[in-house]
Amino acid sequence: MPDGLAKTPPFADLATAARKRAGHAWLADFNARAGARYAEAGWPHARTESWKYTNLNALAAGTFALAAAEKASVPEDRVPNIEGLRIVLVNGMLAPDLSDLDRLPDGVSLTRLSNAGMNEREMLERLLAEHTSTDGLPLAALNAATLSDVVVLDIAAGAALEAPLHIISLGATEKAAFAPRLLIRAGADSYADVVESHVSAGAEVYFSNLVTQVSVARGAQLGHYRLQNEAGGAFHIALTSAEVAEGAVYDNFVLSLGARLARNEIRGEITGARVEYRINGAYMASGSQHLDNTTFIDHAAAGSRSREVYKGVLAGSSRGVFQGKILVRPDAQQTDGYQMNRAMLMSDRAEIDSKPELEIYADDVRCSHGATVGELEADHLFYLQARGIDRDTARRLLVSAYIDEAIDEIQAEPVREAMKRLASGWLARNLSGDAA
Amino acid sequence: MLDMSLLKIENLHAEVGGKEILKGIDLEIGAGEIHAIMGPNGSGKSTLSYVLAGRDGYEVTEGSVTFQGRNLLELEADERANEGIFLAFQYPVEIPGVAGMTFLRESYNAKLRYRGEPEADAMRFLKMVRAKAKTLNMNDDMLKRPVNVGFSGGEKKRNEILQMAVLEPSLAILDETDSGLDIDALKLVSEGVNALRSEGRSMLIITHYQRLLNHIQPDYVHVLAHGRIQRSGGKELALELEANGYADFAEEAA
Repeated sequence: MPDGLAKTPPFADLATAARKRAGHAWLADFNARAGARYAEAGWPHARTESWKYTNLNALAAGTFALAAAEKASVPEDRVPNIEGLRIVLVNGMLAPDLSDLDRLPDGVSLTRLSNAGMNEREMLERLLAEHTSTDGLPLAALNAATLSDVVVLDIAAGAALEAPLHIISLGATEKAAFAPRLLIRAGADSYADVVESHVSAGAEVYFSNLVTQVSVARGAQLGHYRLQNEAGGAFHIALTSAEVAEGAVYDNFVLSLGARLARNEIRGEITGARVEYRINGAYMASGSQHLDNTTFIDHAAAGSRSREVYKGVLAGSSRGVFQGKILVRPDAQQTDGYQMNRAMLMSDRAEIDSKPELEIYADDVRCSHGATVGELEADHLFYLQARGIDRDTARRLLVSAYIDEAIDEIQAEPVREAMKRLASGWLARNLSGDAA
Repeated sequence: MLDMSLLKIENLHAEVGGKEILKGIDLEIGAGEIHAIMGPNGSGKSTLSYVLAGRDGYEVTEGSVTFQGRNLLELEADERANEGIFLAFQYPVEIPGVAGMTFLRESYNAKLRYRGEPEADAMRFLKMVRAKAKTLNMNDDMLKRPVNVGFSGGEKKRNEILQMAVLEPSLAILDETDSGLDIDALKLVSEGVNALRSEGRSMLIITHYQRLLNHIQPDYVHVLAHGRIQRSGGKELALELEANGYADFAEEAA
């Protein structure tokens, strides 16, 4: 097709179906406007800079139907084992029967689109528009065009939660496409940990197109931890946008284990001084998995710190992508930024593309970044073997130590330990004998 | 004598990266004996230790090595360790993220499993290690830290001796254990090694210099040069080498 002719992007039919299905005019209208933006933005292609290393052809070629409500249960062995109240979504829609909605602690309120009144809808519409710019983010537009529910978690100003809130998103229908939309809003000086788990409840092939919008108000501390442990045939595309205000701490971590293809994109904006902005992660892939971590940190205010540590283990013929951009605006003096991506290749067929990018317009800043790619050190393996430890165990010990160093970035201890157990389970399944 | 030998090396040839380094080594070590191998740099001393320990990339092209009656060369490195061979490394490796205590416990339990015995009780094991660490002047902090990370040269060597004390090998190969040690550290390490001397434990001490042998007295001394044992004798041979250097052996190039 020659340039200049509009081409209908894939999944436009899903947007049409979503609009027709919408239970009320407001949602139909919201879906329709997003559908138009999606059609305009078009499907990412190889020349789209931020999608250069992640080819979405296999996703585009898939046939998916808009997901409907479904009965499901939480696969306990695939989610982090942590104490905490649960909010469960099935196929992108809140499932009250699986959720602890009537036991939410003081200071936490949950609003959802599916039973929102007129006033709440107005609030939702404003929030949805607030801080996801869809320019260049066609999949976020597709999320808006196809979503049928929105879950907003509000943590009241000054509230301090003892236990984490655990949001679990289940893919429950074969060949279904769904678009979870989560909003996490930490009020001023609040303290909370929110865990997201994205797993399959039986389905093998599905398309989860997630958008999470986070705002952390002045002085708040929010831990936001995600496990991506989707089924092996699943496509998981996730955008997190997080806006962090003066004196707040945002501690984000993503552990990516599952999916055939997954993209974890984080876009953060620092709008005040003394912010501590932490986005870290670990990715572990085998077979022909493709795991992409793409981050963008916008230092839009002076005197804040950002820290970013990503570590990966790539076995089989899997592929990892890391793109990390840090923008320091002219006014963002005394910015302190650190970024590191390390990948360990467990086979000569595995591959990593790593692209750090610093754009610095202020002159009084400290920003450092690094990227390394390596293999298990033969010296280390031999040292352990020379002490009687067999090769498989030695490999597991060494890789586990390596990946735990990234997981240690998680500030909430119970979540940290649960994530380590999941990573070590992955190692036991994937690093024995010739599996790697 | 044949039946008494713990380790028997016959006509051992080995190459590294296609280059022949060992060119026909013959050596026999009896139970409880201490042998020292001395030789100039590049003579093949470290190659011999790696070949015995089973390191990848060290290829035996000819000859045999029998350990306690078994063909050692068909065993993996970890099997050799569990059979009772211990290599104290010249350059102990730093292993970030693996706590020293975890490493010791994994090693110890590997050996027990290899023998078909149940794993050690965690508390008893901890006590045993602490007691042994104390005699080497190593505190709890050194055991908790990742293996060798941030250790000085002397601390790394002490850590090797601690591992040896815990694993109780029947043959300990000490590869240049004295390198990088000041006199106090050398004394401490030597005392640790001497404390482990016993009738059931043999040692092969590989060293360039004679000074280590002042502290750990060998029963036999061998001179290795150009990939072969050139001379063997008692401990007085070490003194002779100290006086004359290795010049005598330089001319015997093959």
